[in-house]
Amino acid sequence: MTDYRSYLNFFGVTPDDLKKLIRTALGQGGDYADLFFEYTLANEISLRDGQVNAAGTHIDYGVGIRVVCQERTGYAYAETTAMPEMEKAARTAAQIAVAGQGRAIVPAKDLLLEKKNYYPIREDWDSFSLDRKIPFLTQLDTLIFEKDPRVIKVLGRIADSDTKILFYNSLGETFTDERPMISVIASCVMREGSRTESAASSRSFRMGFEMLDESLIREIADEAVKRTSFLFDAVQPKGGQMPVVMSAGGSGILLHEAVGHAFEADFNRKNISIFSDKMGMQVCDPSINIVDDGTLPGNRGALNIDDEGVPGQKTYLVKNGILNSYMHDRISARHYNTAPTGNGRRESFRFMPIPRMRATYMENGTAKESDLIASVKKGIYVDTFSNGQVQIGAGDFTFFVKSGYLIENGHLTRPIKDINIIGNGPQALKDILAVADNNKIENSTWTCGKEQYCPVSCGMPSVLVKSLTVGGSN
Amino acid sequence: MIRPVYKQETEMARKALQAALKAGASQARISLNIGVQNSFSVLENRLDRLQMANDRSLYIQLFVNGRYGAYSTNRLEETELEKFIRNAVSAVKWLSPDSCRTLPPSELYFKGPGKDLGQFDPYILEMDPAKKKELAFAAFEEIAGKDNRIISVDSEYGDTLEYQYMIDSQGFEGDSLQSGFTLSVECSVKGKGDARPEGWWYESSLTYADFHPAGCGRTALERALAKLDPVKIASGKYNAIVENTCSSRLFAPIITALNGANIQQQNSFLAGTLGKKVFPEKLTVTDTPHVYGMAGSRYFDGEGIATRPMNIIEQGTINTYFLPTYYANKMETAPTVEGPSVPRITAGSPDGSSAGLTLEQMIGQMNDGILITGFNGGNCNGTTGDFSYGIEGFRIENGEIRFPVKEMNITGNIVSLWNNLSLAGNDPRKCSRWQIPSLAFGEVDFSGL
Repeated sequence: MTDYRSYLNFFGVTPDDLKKLIRTALGQGGDYADLFFEYTLANEISLRDGQVNAAGTHIDYGVGIRVVCQERTGYAYAETTAMPEMEKAARTAAQIAVAGQGRAIVPAKDLLLEKKNYYPIREDWDSFSLDRKIPFLTQLDTLIFEKDPRVIKVLGRIADSDTKILFYNSLGETFTDERPMISVIASCVMREGSRTESAASSRSFRMGFEMLDESLIREIADEAVKRTSFLFDAVQPKGGQMPVVMSAGGSGILLHEAVGHAFEADFNRKNISIFSDKMGMQVCDPSINIVDDGTLPGNRGALNIDDEGVPGQKTYLVKNGILNSYMHDRISARHYNTAPTGNGRRESFRFMPIPRMRATYMENGTAKESDLIASVKKGIYVDTFSNGQVQIGAGDFTFFVKSGYLIENGHLTRPIKDINIIGNGPQALKDILAVADNNKIENSTWTCGKEQYCPVSCGMPSVLVKSLTVGGSN
Repeated sequence: MIRPVYKQETEMARKALQAALKAGASQARISLNIGVQNSFSVLENRLDRLQMANDRSLYIQLFVNGRYGAYSTNRLEETELEKFIRNAVSAVKWLSPDSCRTLPPSELYFKGPGKDLGQFDPYILEMDPAKKKELAFAAFEEIAGKDNRIISVDSEYGDTLEYQYMIDSQGFEGDSLQSGFTLSVECSVKGKGDARPEGWWYESSLTYADFHPAGCGRTALERALAKLDPVKIASGKYNAIVENTCSSRLFAPIITALNGANIQQQNSFLAGTLGKKVFPEKLTVTDTPHVYGMAGSRYFDGEGIATRPMNIIEQGTINTYFLPTYYANKMETAPTVEGPSVPRITAGSPDGSSAGLTLEQMIGQMNDGILITGFNGGNCNGTTGDFSYGIEGFRIENGEIRFPVKEMNITGNIVSLWNNLSLAGNDPRKCSRWQIPSLAFGEVDFSGL
């Protein structure tokens, strides 16, 4: 399904229906309204105890209707595209408007928005039946068991989804988009004597079936086994403040938690972010550039066009150490009298769009990772992560380290595991002492949970942070 | 009592069951989920967001001669649904057969009827939207202009109506209806430098008669102001009290570790502990699923298995795992309920002679330590029980709260932590499904300076 008309047919609506719904939505007033039609088909299969023995398919279908009046939002949705139900939702959303405040006029002529394609699908999932996915999970199971005799259990899962979107707004703008997503996840449990450890590995992309091949399965199997095996030698270290070298890739969680959320413009519009008064100011070393990017081909955070009709783009949040831009949706962009940045995202038609990250990463510096490690007398090197959180106003952020090493006298020594690291966002940004030249985008199944769930990714070159508080024993 | 009737939807679920069996499923379970949600958010004395949601979907579990699939859809037109089910049954046939995939033994089903559990208030059907807006504005007005350090106040009134209906091919049929009223407030205040500490509070109940939102705004402001000028203190072992607002965070890893999926996969730090004393003798955890008016009360679980009052942990001994049918079959044992309904903690002598304390009494008894009032990230390794969490809270000295602390972690092992349980409060929040009071632990590893 590629063209606008086929999407109209698919959702069972006409251009006149769209106009009528927008007029209903703006019936009480309002500056802006939009319609977000969505059909998501999600499939999953899973392996347990050597058998691919569970499968599922999930369909979600509906339309979300939003009315904006100044900075206020009315939102309702219908799980059908029958006109009476959609009009009821439009009338509900319309209640946000205060009579006499704003009355957008829908232009007579519609504009089909142009977009680039950052996730071309070579082999679509519709044509890929269950029996063709099963051998990949079986292979994953075999490879993990072959790699280490201590493996006692393996779980594997392949999840794919295809989302079709039709959008129309009171500016007469319309677009369609098809968003694929595929994730492969493996975890294994190993036993050595009386000790048991487990770890997981995953990869996720906006791609078609072409991404599922033997090399990907081998990569995931290898990583799951290495990560689990590592834990038998690892300990929770002594806690306290110390220098932290963050390895390339998943350390992008530092950006996501320490500064990313605080750069989302809704928090700043409400004046509750610790960065609310920092636009245009130096926030870190001039050599540092931080980007939020919706244009990485096939990336989990890629967006051809965001969920309110703004083209996918690359946004410099920090340029040469200066806070350059927040991440905007239409509402915050209007508040700041600037252009939206393509960060208006939503989990599904059930949610209104809000500013969200896409792929957030730091550009390369010039240092070598080995030099960063060598410069630390006593600290830690952190490598894999599971989750993080931030307190927007206080600026305190955390991330949970699954594995890493102690650094003693410039060398990696004892493996460490399962520790939380806490710091303060603005201070941690200032405390980045060196940035390596090895930027890597992390392609695990990162999902951000700000009010609603959105797929994201992150990346980072290795960096040295002067001081963070590391969890541990005393 | 006036109850909404979902005759058309439940009939659709019955038809879906027949369609599954006709398409070749040997067993099937159909769950109908209907939800209605409304919310009104006020920001700076203006209505900022108005949201209304209506959901209805079917969750379809198919057992096709030992092969299993779980499907869901919100496209409920009859022809569309029949086609979806036919395709699902057809797809499941590609899977490996697994004889453990079955419905539960029917003798474990809830047979009903049961007394009303007080889960639904018909007032939710007639409550005037203007009243809802008024409640959100009232929470804002409680604190507007009351302190010049206030930066932002965000209040929200929300209500929910949830209906679940479940039917399976062994004859189980049951439903539940629940209402909910919630008011929440978040408040940011000006701190030192650029800091803007936040405080929040919420009140929630199943019935409007039990709903007492007054004071929410004031509590949120008080909690925000209490966080001003936090101090980072030295790493070390401290006694800790974990407030009732967040104590379930330290209880959750125990329930996760008792979950059948983790036990069967040998991926749990409580695997192999059934019948063994793991925790201190003073600790008993009881499930009380039939208490009138409590969120979480229910007569049957997601498989139709009857719930019953029971001890999950009895004087430190693990009394049960939570084994849904699939994992029970794998382990060649009988299924249990899939998880706790309304778990409660007691920490004292079994005869109740050591009654719980108020938070203030606990602080006084502890004398010296740290009061944890919130967690900031962190995780627990479910295989080993090793945990590390970021915390926020207050330094306790001489039996009194002295100052807020910042940027600290607690780290350790869940089993060891609970073996250092010293006190349990008498203050679980009624609005929580898990009735976990404030808890005090000795010798907790805090990392700070």
